[in-house]
Amino acid sequence: MIERLSHGPASVHGLTEPFALSQQMISKHIACLVRARIVIKTKCGRESVCTLRPEAIKTVSDWAFNYRRFWEESFDKLEIVVNQMKKEEVRDDRKHG
Amino acid sequence: MTENTVSEIERMVVTRVFDAPRELVWKAWTDPKYVMQWWGPKGFTAPVCKMDFRVGGKSLFCMKTPDGQEFWNAVEYHEIVLHEKIVSDMYFSDSKGNKIEPAELGIEHEAIDGAYDVTIFEDLGNGQTKLTHIGNEPMESAKNSGQLEGWNQILDKIAAVVAGLVQAK
Repeated sequence: MIERLSHGPASVHGLTEPFALSQQMISKHIACLVRARIVIKTKCGRESVCTLRPEAIKTVSDWAFNYRRFWEESFDKLEIVVNQMKKEEVRDDRKHG
Repeated sequence: MTENTVSEIERMVVTRVFDAPRELVWKAWTDPKYVMQWWGPKGFTAPVCKMDFRVGGKSLFCMKTPDGQEFWNAVEYHEIVLHEKIVSDMYFSDSKGNKIEPAELGIEHEAIDGAYDVTIFEDLGNGQTKLTHIGNEPMESAKNSGQLEGWNQILDKIAAVVAGLVQAK
């Protein structure tokens, strides 16, 4: 369903068609996506139109390689901090020594 | 014993060798003044870093994405061996440190129930320190999420998260 919405907004009816599910089931699924703030549902005349919330997708894509990346990249920065600390320590030693 | 070993999940491990003495690396890891300078992925900043670094203590970190979105993490300390080892529990939280499910933030993170993060500081001699972080995430999941993936795969993951939300009801 999200795959379909990634191509653009779609009506609930349009989203029901490709699935072998009742519109009621689809509506329930959409309600979940709306609650999870992944999809925005708006009324357009008699039809409800669903749109993917771009921020939600962006967050997930930003974090697609999340946990390991968090640590690897934090370690990169930690390395810079440690090197800086080392330099400062050497300077302090010279001052006091 | 053997059965335990077999059923144990291989964890995500990140290691790094620093060209600095162990006390220095320890300081960079445990002093908020320094943690603020490195916490979070590339391009992220850490505007808030409140640390209560002691067994039973809890720290609160905020990281800000390049587009200004804030994510909060809390860390609880279970075991501290000075200059050697830290056993902690890190989780996503709100700005008050209350635990929240990563999926609620649109973040995919598969944690192992009841497992902790373990950080080990090893003195390699010759002024070098090896830092090992054993994260609370299964290796398989880390491997999968470690790859740059196509849009559709990302979407599949969201779908799975949503399916989980649906099931959780």
